[in-house]
Amino acid sequence: MTEPLYAVRDIRKSYGSVVALNGVDFSVGAGEVVGLVGDNGAGKSTLVRILSGVNPPDSGEIILEGKPRHWRSPHDALEAGVETLYQDAGIAPDLTVAANVFLGREVLRKGLLGRLGFLDEKAMRDKARQELTRVGITVPSAGRPVSKLSGGQRQAVAIGRAVAWANKVILLDEPTNHLGAQQSIEVLNVIRQAKANGLGVVFISHTLPHVLEVTDRVTVLRLGEVVADRPTSDFSPDTLLKAITGLA
Amino acid sequence: MTKNTAPAASPRGGGLRDFLLRQDVVLLGIFAVMVVVFASINPRFLSLPAAANILQDFSPVVLMAIGQTFVIVSRGIDLSVGSTLGLSGVVMALAVRALNQAGVDPALTIVVGVLCAMATGAVVGLVNAFLINVANITPFIATLATLGAAAGVSLVLTRGVQVAGGPTAVIYVGNLRYLGVLTVPVIAVLVIMAIAWAFFGLTRFGRWTYAIGSNPFAARGAGIDVKRHLTKIYLLSGILSGLAGAFVYFRLGSGSPLSGRGGELSAVAACVIGGIGLFGGTGKISGTFIGALITTSVLSGLILIGVEPNWQQIVVAGLIAGAVGIQGLSSAARRGT
Repeated sequence: MTEPLYAVRDIRKSYGSVVALNGVDFSVGAGEVVGLVGDNGAGKSTLVRILSGVNPPDSGEIILEGKPRHWRSPHDALEAGVETLYQDAGIAPDLTVAANVFLGREVLRKGLLGRLGFLDEKAMRDKARQELTRVGITVPSAGRPVSKLSGGQRQAVAIGRAVAWANKVILLDEPTNHLGAQQSIEVLNVIRQAKANGLGVVFISHTLPHVLEVTDRVTVLRLGEVVADRPTSDFSPDTLLKAITGLA
Repeated sequence: MTKNTAPAASPRGGGLRDFLLRQDVVLLGIFAVMVVVFASINPRFLSLPAAANILQDFSPVVLMAIGQTFVIVSRGIDLSVGSTLGLSGVVMALAVRALNQAGVDPALTIVVGVLCAMATGAVVGLVNAFLINVANITPFIATLATLGAAAGVSLVLTRGVQVAGGPTAVIYVGNLRYLGVLTVPVIAVLVIMAIAWAFFGLTRFGRWTYAIGSNPFAARGAGIDVKRHLTKIYLLSGILSGLAGAFVYFRLGSGSPLSGRGGELSAVAACVIGGIGLFGGTGKISGTFIGALITTSVLSGLILIGVEPNWQQIVVAGLIAGAVGIQGLSSAARRGT
């Protein structure tokens, strides 16, 4: 394989005396979907927080497009093109769909009002609808508060938002959690769409059938270490489960 | 989503029922009923002097309540606003007295005085922001601490007595009425309300405030510097409380360490009656305006219809409970449940 789009090398992270990550390597290529799996406490969330810039590692390298990076905040990672959908935390329910899609990237009006921070709501509504359609998501109205949508639609908005903005890498933390079968299929289709658009996709999930269905490669974490990193075709549901639990 | 095709839940609202259940419409209805009741018992409630009185009571409360609205929508609370009002009035009074005794031009004296009041509020706001963001103390406790501290500093600075001794122009500024009701400070408050309304509802600053209150993790994940934004919000609340202190100083012509006692309750009550959700992320500042109008005019009204002052607090308490109850009902109705 050519040089990965986004990679971390020998990442270590401890919380007090608890070692969450103990020398982890991880990478994702452009147009590749990598599954990140592991049992509770394996270190998945810690790794996601490092990849997305929420927390810095204690040691180790973060490399995007061959260049070493130091994220001081999620904002840095976003600016560099690394978008994250956090587990159950991606959406502000009281804001409209459009406001959520543009959260942190608001479109301001032109001229003096814009410089005073006045929002161009219409432009955001129109573009939100466009962007969500482009990534394969339909929502009833961009002007509706997210709290009035169903759980599946909320998640769709959250994912659509992340995919629409990502221009290099997208990290999806449990995106199919709490979703029904049909909604999960839609989410998996959005992931395929993102892959087709050349994004590097990191798919973190407990739902192994989804992982096997949509990923190209799977990285398995156990107790803070990588215990397997192989093409998805090498795994069966059984061998993947064994890799995760460590039970022969 | 078939449920949501019913017209009553259409996103644009539409329909008389939805209009009547809108928070601000409900509040204006309550206000109208109050006015009718008070005016029918004592017609003087509708006179210009009564209106002027209500505006004088309303102004400092709405200033504190505007800041409080930003704070509460961001999922915080600022209990220090009343003490900040008192401290700012005291600092302003001390500055004005010193400048007046030094023979400085009255207009300049007044301007510097107002700036001192605002600066005092800003300092309290920054202390709140520091305690919340850096020391990681919850807003309730952090601002409870500054409530006590600011009140204490007021007493230390004044030794517990009022500070007068400003130029006579102060009294004119605060009490000379145009059109029978509007003093210069009242006009300033109305302008601030208009700016606050636009700022809260139409700008990125307001949007981020809602986002942080609605889901701070999502806000942070979206790249918003949440701590920086909260600092600005508590700073704003402090400055507006400082202006409220200046307002009271203009009205009384002196600064009292006892001014603003209980102001936090008036401000929070205005927000709650106005429909600002205490869990953050919801509510409109127009509701706060009407909430402040209701609480302050009910006090004037009760005096005018001869209700014993001790009953007033009880009536306001009833209003708060009633308003919150109606909100629950109307939001349940909006959800179609």
